[in-house]
Amino acid sequence: MPSLPLADLEAQVGDTHRTVEDFHVERGKVAEFARAIDDPDDVYLDEQAAREAGYDAIPAPPTFARTSFFPRYRPDGIDHDLGFELGFDRARVVHGQQRYEYERPLYVGDTLTGDTTLTEVYQRDGRGGGTMTFAVLRTDFTDESGSHVLSDYNTRIETGRAIRGEGE
Amino acid sequence: MTESFAVGDTFERVTEDVSREDFVRYAGASGDFNPIHYDDPHARDAGYPSVFGQGMFTAGVASALVRETFGLAGLREYDTRFVAQVWPGDTLTTTLEITAVEDAADGTRVEADLVVTNDDGERVVDGGAVAVVE
Repeated sequence: MPSLPLADLEAQVGDTHRTVEDFHVERGKVAEFARAIDDPDDVYLDEQAAREAGYDAIPAPPTFARTSFFPRYRPDGIDHDLGFELGFDRARVVHGQQRYEYERPLYVGDTLTGDTTLTEVYQRDGRGGGTMTFAVLRTDFTDESGSHVLSDYNTRIETGRAIRGEGE
Repeated sequence: MTESFAVGDTFERVTEDVSREDFVRYAGASGDFNPIHYDDPHARDAGYPSVFGQGMFTAGVASALVRETFGLAGLREYDTRFVAQVWPGDTLTTTLEITAVEDAADGTRVEADLVVTNDDGERVVDGGAVAVVE
């Protein structure tokens, strides 16, 4: 169970914090990321190949917004909990689900801002015993013109005890 | 990119023999630096037999098939649920199966289920994608 009562988490549902600033989509970082996910396709590596494939510039892979995790892009005072007080024990937190909704691809040259809203919290009994607490954090990314580019829905689970899941 | 899609069409992509080096490379590329993914003693202290891959590493690997199949320009949704761990030495097979095709104002809207399995056929990730294609 989190160190805070569920009601304290529920009271934060709907709150929004600025969590990503000045997130530059850099050409070298896109290439490095594409190789790291075993997809070193030319569209991610070469501007001309990207244009021939119909893109305005080199696009970033669908999960590239994850790189906004780097402290470089975090505003002062924003840590792993993205401005919320979840009271989760990090040793027992796993990443349950990740969903994206896109308006358009991310492109090299974009500079994005991210605002994170706590959209949902709930508890459920875990199969291995103990209570599992779920928190869904939606981050809306906008470009320099203020247009929405994509939304990232991150589901974190604080497990009742260490279970087999993806450590986050 | 495929020109047209029908319900039941399936697409597959294989990433062989993922390694600790792949997890480290993904950590560096993404900023996702939980030591449970690259520090074996730390992972064993936490009760695991070894390090295991970041869920987002597998989500990234699976996204390669989504890009190949639909391109990125019309990609509307991409969803991944992390249901089991990926261990060093696993070969990952991503399968995308078209589940719905319908006309939309801006093209053809295609929905697909996504599954990533390991060598034993166990699901490690499931999810889906939605794209609008020409």
